[in-house]
Amino acid sequence: MDGDSAHSMEAEREMTRLWRTFRTVYELLADRGYEVSDNELVLPLEDFRAKYADPLGYPDRTKMKIQARPTDTMKLKYTALPSKANPNPQPDCGTIYVDFCPDSSGVGTKQVRAFNHLVDENNFHTGIFITQTPISPSAVRLLSGVPGRICEHFQEQDLLVNITRHELVPKHVLLSPEEKGKLLERYRLKESQLPRIQISDPVARYLGLRRGQVVKIIRKSETAGRYASYRWVI
Amino acid sequence: MAQQGPSHPLKTSLPETYAAINAQQPPPSYLYPSQEEQDKYLEGRPGATQQHLEIALEHAQQIQTQKDAEDVILNHILELLELPSSPAADPATPSQEDTVKLKYSLAPFRPSDYDNLILERNFEDLCGYALCPRKHRKKNNGPQGGFQFKYGPKGSGPGGRGRSVDIVSQDRIEKWCSDACAERALWIRVQLSEKPVWERRAGDTRGTTILLLEEARAKRLKAPAATSSVSSVVNDLQSMGLGNRDRSRELALERGDTSLIRPDGRVNVDIRENQHGSQQVADAPQMRPEDANGGSIEGYVPRERRDMDQDGDIDLLDQI
Repeated sequence: MDGDSAHSMEAEREMTRLWRTFRTVYELLADRGYEVSDNELVLPLEDFRAKYADPLGYPDRTKMKIQARPTDTMKLKYTALPSKANPNPQPDCGTIYVDFCPDSSGVGTKQVRAFNHLVDENNFHTGIFITQTPISPSAVRLLSGVPGRICEHFQEQDLLVNITRHELVPKHVLLSPEEKGKLLERYRLKESQLPRIQISDPVARYLGLRRGQVVKIIRKSETAGRYASYRWVI
Repeated sequence: MAQQGPSHPLKTSLPETYAAINAQQPPPSYLYPSQEEQDKYLEGRPGATQQHLEIALEHAQQIQTQKDAEDVILNHILELLELPSSPAADPATPSQEDTVKLKYSLAPFRPSDYDNLILERNFEDLCGYALCPRKHRKKNNGPQGGFQFKYGPKGSGPGGRGRSVDIVSQDRIEKWCSDACAERALWIRVQLSEKPVWERRAGDTRGTTILLLEEARAKRLKAPAATSSVSSVVNDLQSMGLGNRDRSRELALERGDTSLIRPDGRVNVDIRENQHGSQQVADAPQMRPEDANGGSIEGYVPRERRDMDQDGDIDLLDQI
């Protein structure tokens, strides 16, 4: 009896942790500009448990697969300015696919290859691979080496809390190519003269920023009320 | 966007295969641009010259080489995961085919890449040694892992008594199926070059000639056993031909006393001091007839003065 209750306690703990990760994923998708319903954003723990628990009470990660399509505002932000060579540019974003890896340890090239294959076969634009443990260095390289597609990796514990909701993290807003052009015009700058933000920055990873984009960072200021600064993603 | 269509003949995540597909379709963007393209690029930029562009292109090529090399290494790791080719292979006597493949694949590796390979093999539940088909050791001591006692053979303890004891971390033991495989795998690791493959020069033999532990042992056995008698040592020394210049240079190279570059004359600077002039001792000055009336400097009479002497004028210097 004692062993049984310890078992269910353990299952309950894992369930709750994964539920928080799962909610952060939806918040992440919404913040990036994908279509996410309000129900999904405030999914209660009971519903999550009913939907994704296996008979023993542990979460079943193989069921947890998420797909989302970009909204029109997001498409606009990801469309390059028309140029002479490309007068009618297409938005560089598409359906996103999120996969939770069920293996509890030793995630290497085997799992990443399967994931890459899946993303490629279903023609997803972006894939997010979420694992419980760190993945091997070769797997990281394999994940980033798929041409034409963007594959990202997060650990479950990285998404346990949504870092952008913390009071010390200022608001990051991605600028569209047009807004970026206006900014550079206004301050008479080249983009290389802007302050920079690394692509590996936690917030940049959260927002899925790409090299060459510009984010506007809005902070509270005691004297001015609001203070905006801009960062070039490298 | 067009390349994302369902027209891909292959569904794979191997970068090599993608490279092959790309080779058929559009040329890769990193190929060296033609003169036309270069001129076109320079036209729009009044501050840039051909030289600037060439420097930028050279650096771009270097970075591309690095990326390509890393891709190759990744592919080799993926290939080596499949070894050995038969599940009944014996790591002590590997098949010729597998040995050749392993040696070829390991050539561009650094020790850190090799560690990645071991990690990947362990993830696949295989022994870390690439030619071993067995599973790696696994003792479930809980998630903490921890440390383990490892006892040496009898008589290895201090003073030749008892057994030596090592405390080894769990994951270091669990990489391999047995101590023998650990030895084989680490023997290969020490032979790999620390230098990344894109920085290696043609003369670098380290890393390209890899010996398996078994091969190295066989070689050592074949070598003549050391003899202790004086006459045989003398004979050996004579047969080595130390007096021979070429031979002694070879030996010096073996010891690492001389670098490879030197015989080519690049840094072979020979300094020889000149022996002339320093041997003669200067004579002490002597009184000569012309010095009698003074005014000369060690026998040299300034010209102005000479003229005056001939004119018979009074020498000012004499009066002072």
